[in-house]
Amino acid sequence: MSESTTIALQTTKLEVGYKKNNQNHVLFEPLSLTLTQGELVCFMGSNGIGKTTLIKTLAGIQAPITGAVTRHYSTAIVLTDKISGSLMTVRDLVTYGRYPHLNWWLTLNDEDHQLIENAIRKVHLESIADKQLSQLSDGQLQMAMIAKALAQDANILLLDEPTAHLDLNNRVEIMNLLRLLARETNKTILVATHELDLALQTADKIWLATQDKKIVTGIPEDLVLDGTFDIVFQLKGFDLKTGKISHTPYRKTLVQLDGSGPEYLWTKNALERNGYELEADATTIVRILTLSDKINWELTHNNINTQFNSLAELLRALGN
Amino acid sequence: MKQNSARIALLILTAGLVILFLLNISLGSVSIPLKEVIKALFTHTGTNADILWQFRLPKAITCVLAGSALATGGLLMQTLFRNPMAGPDVLGLTSGSSLFVAVLLMAGRYGSSVGNLIQNPWSIAIAASFGGAMVFVIIIAIARYVRDNTSLLIVGLMISAATSSIVSVLQFTSQADDLQTFMIWMLGSVGSTNWSELAVLSLIISTGIAISISLIKSLNGILLGESYALNLAINIKRARILIVITTGMMVGVVTAFCGPIAFVGLAVPHLVRLLLPTSNHKTLLPAVMLGGAMLLLLCDVLAQLPGRTQVLPLNAITSLIGAPVVIWMVIKAKRISV
Repeated sequence: MSESTTIALQTTKLEVGYKKNNQNHVLFEPLSLTLTQGELVCFMGSNGIGKTTLIKTLAGIQAPITGAVTRHYSTAIVLTDKISGSLMTVRDLVTYGRYPHLNWWLTLNDEDHQLIENAIRKVHLESIADKQLSQLSDGQLQMAMIAKALAQDANILLLDEPTAHLDLNNRVEIMNLLRLLARETNKTILVATHELDLALQTADKIWLATQDKKIVTGIPEDLVLDGTFDIVFQLKGFDLKTGKISHTPYRKTLVQLDGSGPEYLWTKNALERNGYELEADATTIVRILTLSDKINWELTHNNINTQFNSLAELLRALGN
Repeated sequence: MKQNSARIALLILTAGLVILFLLNISLGSVSIPLKEVIKALFTHTGTNADILWQFRLPKAITCVLAGSALATGGLLMQTLFRNPMAGPDVLGLTSGSSLFVAVLLMAGRYGSSVGNLIQNPWSIAIAASFGGAMVFVIIIAIARYVRDNTSLLIVGLMISAATSSIVSVLQFTSQADDLQTFMIWMLGSVGSTNWSELAVLSLIISTGIAISISLIKSLNGILLGESYALNLAINIKRARILIVITTGMMVGVVTAFCGPIAFVGLAVPHLVRLLLPTSNHKTLLPAVMLGGAMLLLLCDVLAQLPGRTQVLPLNAITSLIGAPVVIWMVIKAKRISV
């Protein structure tokens, strides 16, 4: 695919916020941001910093305080707003996507029908297209909302926390879908999300709302390495550069771990989680023995060798 | 809900409406067989024709008009406030009408200019419409400040309570015959409309229904909330005002000619949704209109004790018949929604 750098959406000295008691509350310093075609941007920042307000302003639902948003294409949104009409079916909801193109009597032509069915297919909800929204799981409902946005056939998709309250499987599915949409249909997608790990692995670009009312942009890896993430999230006990929770070894025993592959990683995880520190030439040695289809652990402790069938047994023996 | 099954449901409702309409005009203090009914409708001669053309047809047509108007108003309110408990009477609209009618009927004695107004047969209608519309404007003005529906509902109930108390004061200070006129008006009645009043009723209600139908897209949009609606190029602000005006107009005119008819506006949308599970107003609106007309025709049949001249108060019947039906359906469906 050729690298497209067509600008889809642009803000110029945009100030967003709300009015209270006749006073403007501006949430960010004047923003000059761009979204280009075919890119997936994850918009991150702590709760209440103004992500929803900015998304609504970008979508044209809320008026900017000053400055302007230039949309070169039409925009579809997925918000966290609760919707009524629990009797409507998935297909009814997706049909809403065609509303900008329909007359007052809501006459659907063949193209409308096709776009609706395509949208349902894209999010894999064909089998439950006639189910009522009240019968859907949270993940399915979110997928249906995304399908509604897809049926709008807009080139820009703005999503406000589409993965909130979902389980890991659904979160991954949604992010993968958005990733695919950006790549295959050249849509511009902005997702506000709290899923740091998912964002780092899927986003082309990150918008990071900082505490000093700025939005820092860049590709995920740059922002990790230059420490921007650490400043924003003030990560407590999570080492972003290794992608792991940092553990404080609280036991005296140093352990030398021999092995490789996923077995090594998970044994390390188990040991560190339980407060052991790994050390290259410690006297206590754990050796991972992968024998055909079985994994065994051999513990050398005080010059005595013992074998274990599971990590739980190993940990129990180590603890004594 | 598939388009086809919706069509079939609407056809069944239409058939039900026709049957109930014929039943309604053939039953009464004098029972007229269906054959005679049809004959009298075309010949215009004989006692039967007189009964039909002077009493039963206007009454049945009033039922149809008032029933569809109230049910439509109820649906519009439930959608606008996205609240299943909403209805014209809950939000104080009917109590506004009652207040102005009470002022007209009872306080009219004190001022000669107002007293002259009472002589005008239309003044009750105008007072009721004005009262309803006024309360509604207040509700909407407050709606801009309180964001959630529960608070708004409480405000509506408070306005109802306040207007009712003013009505009580008026009742307390008024004379017996005025009071009785008002009390009878409060019980609701579909039997007192003549053809020229029917003309006004049908003109205003058909205008209201036409506006409601023109708002199908907006009404559907409101279900998704303001942000989504705006993104789908639906002008919510304009729709909101039109919905308020339409409901105020329709419920106002019904209240004017028939008194505050309880229950129909709140219950019919739920009954319809339970029979025809859809949120699409393209199906809901016509179904609710038919359902409202049917319910009021049925209640009127039941209010008219067969073979007797005595008629039970309409409001007693609508609630007595409707409430258990709704409770039963809610228990059966286990939930109720907008």
